[in-house]
Amino acid sequence: MQVHRSALVAISRVPIAPGVMLAVGLHAVVLAAAILLPPLFDRPPPLRKPILAHLVALGKPRSKDLLPRKLSPPPPAPAAAASPAPVSPVAPPAPHSKPSMNSPPAVKPTAPAPRAPTRRELMDRALARASGHAEATHEAPDPDRAGQADGNPAGTAETAEAGERYFSDVHDAILANYVVPSVISERERLYLSATVVAYIRSDGSLLKHNLQKKSGNHFFDEALELAIARTKLPPPPPELARALRDEGVALNFRP
Amino acid sequence: MRSVFLPVLALLVPLAARAERPAIDLNGARIQAYPLAVAKPLGDPRASLQVQAVLTQDFERSGLFKLLDPASFLARDDLRAIDFPSWAAVGAQGLVKLSCDATVKCELRLFDVGGARELLHGTYSAPPAGARQIAHRFGDDVVRFFTQEPGIFQTRIAYVRETATGKQIVVADADGFGPQLLTSASINLLPAWTPDGKTIAFTSLRDGSGAHVYTVDVSSRQVKPLVLMGDFAAGAAYAPDGLKFTFSTSVDDNTDVYVSQADGSAGRRLTATRGIDISASWSPNGRRLAFISERAGSPQVYTMLADGSDVRRLTFQGNYNQEPAWSPKGDLIAFSGRDEKRVFDIYTINPETGKVARLTQNAGTNEKPAWSPNGRYLLYSSTRSGKRQIWLMGADGANQRQLTSESVGASDPAWGPLLPQK
Repeated sequence: MQVHRSALVAISRVPIAPGVMLAVGLHAVVLAAAILLPPLFDRPPPLRKPILAHLVALGKPRSKDLLPRKLSPPPPAPAAAASPAPVSPVAPPAPHSKPSMNSPPAVKPTAPAPRAPTRRELMDRALARASGHAEATHEAPDPDRAGQADGNPAGTAETAEAGERYFSDVHDAILANYVVPSVISERERLYLSATVVAYIRSDGSLLKHNLQKKSGNHFFDEALELAIARTKLPPPPPELARALRDEGVALNFRP
Repeated sequence: MRSVFLPVLALLVPLAARAERPAIDLNGARIQAYPLAVAKPLGDPRASLQVQAVLTQDFERSGLFKLLDPASFLARDDLRAIDFPSWAAVGAQGLVKLSCDATVKCELRLFDVGGARELLHGTYSAPPAGARQIAHRFGDDVVRFFTQEPGIFQTRIAYVRETATGKQIVVADADGFGPQLLTSASINLLPAWTPDGKTIAFTSLRDGSGAHVYTVDVSSRQVKPLVLMGDFAAGAAYAPDGLKFTFSTSVDDNTDVYVSQADGSAGRRLTATRGIDISASWSPNGRRLAFISERAGSPQVYTMLADGSDVRRLTFQGNYNQEPAWSPKGDLIAFSGRDEKRVFDIYTINPETGKVARLTQNAGTNEKPAWSPNGRYLLYSSTRSGKRQIWLMGADGANQRQLTSESVGASDPAWGPLLPQK
């Protein structure tokens, strides 16, 4: 007698447990991804490299046919008859026309419309008088100039994104103490690089730092340690405080 | 089950590790001389103090070290037991301690103050008059330790001593100490060392029939003729291998660059244009020559292959550039150029990029640059102190110091080769 096997019988023999486990496992993966992945995207974006600019010295353009001259230090500021009163930080002076390389600066701009002095300006003038200083003789600040109360008179941007500004401040603070000894040869300086990871507390003090990648030159590494030890960092903005404390900031040094 | 989870975890772990830590790139460190303290010497005062004085001067001239004022020193330690915190407190990063006995046997040590460890230790001995050599040897050892480049404190220099009756070739230590006359009559100019340091070629009017090239043995002071072509042959420059030398000579009223075997034989013309071609200087690999040519109307620096082909103009700024000297490192050619104030100053040009850097300015007339054998320094003549004297500066123009104090004047410096390591 011929016996026909049913396909259903064969299917029913497949064990159900692995399938269930696989499904549970995949759910666990999805759950883990849901928990782990979002923080990765919440982290601060990678820092844009600071752009260093040089202010071009005031002077006559030099013919390209002439041999170069050494860059001389800027002339000392003219001695003022009396110290000027503090400049109001609210509105720095602004020229009314775009400065030109070939034209002398400080051309008196068109006088702004008269306006009532602000409370701060009145206070500055009173302080200047009280301290025996003559009243400020520089141009009146442009009341319409956009900027920040703690901005720089020579600044050119209206705002600065807090995180970017903080990293620029860190960069500048460390650079001020970044001194490499001349005993390291020029040739070696071309190839030296090291990375220090600095962990920063919310008050700006250094929690710890690790020399993550050594340069291979003891004196260069020692110079980095000195630079970091000598630097007083500013407190990070609140939105960066946790990340800088827990994950730190990588400082990539090249001479 | 493990076979299912492990690949998934392997995918997740790198994701977690890729967390973006902010990064700041810091370039453009200030290069600062290494703060070094040379402690008060121990042992026999006469020898110790002389070694200390010479060593201190060597370090100062090098521009590599900032010597700390001994008056600020706090530590009271001996040769080996070092009070490192006291040295760190006065700003020292390096410390040299030395002790010599009456037989001029000296023990010198270099310490890393921050790391509280010894970096170098040497025992040197010399004849009674050799304290200076001990200081130079240890100084060179210190420079080599830090820079992995040879120091130049033990090298010698040659220059022209100007007198009321003529100009003589002189050799001296690299710090200008102990000048010795090699010639004694006539007008002698443009000394050039052979690579072995045993002989100096120079241009002389001694035979009364024009300028010709001679050699003088540095030890015996024996003078021999080398090039007697025509009535003008001048400016010898030896190839780095010492087998050939270039010079300039006038034939048919046209001055050109020639090359010859070291013994003066088989002279061959390398340039053949109208106008003066002169002052050849070899590249450190011996493949190219820098020279001055007037072929474009004014003296300018050119380069060419050592066989005279592939001539390229290098300088385009200024209307009177002269005396090129190719750095032993190969990366720069120094020359003197006349600026719009009609004063000569020292410049360097990068032969690859053509970038010119000015090294001297507003300090008399500065001419005849000559490289140190390690390419870190330049000798040159300057009138800034009144009389023309030999001066020293770094390859970037830093740390300019007077070396000679000749009563009438000094010019045409040439730096001798490095001594072979013993």
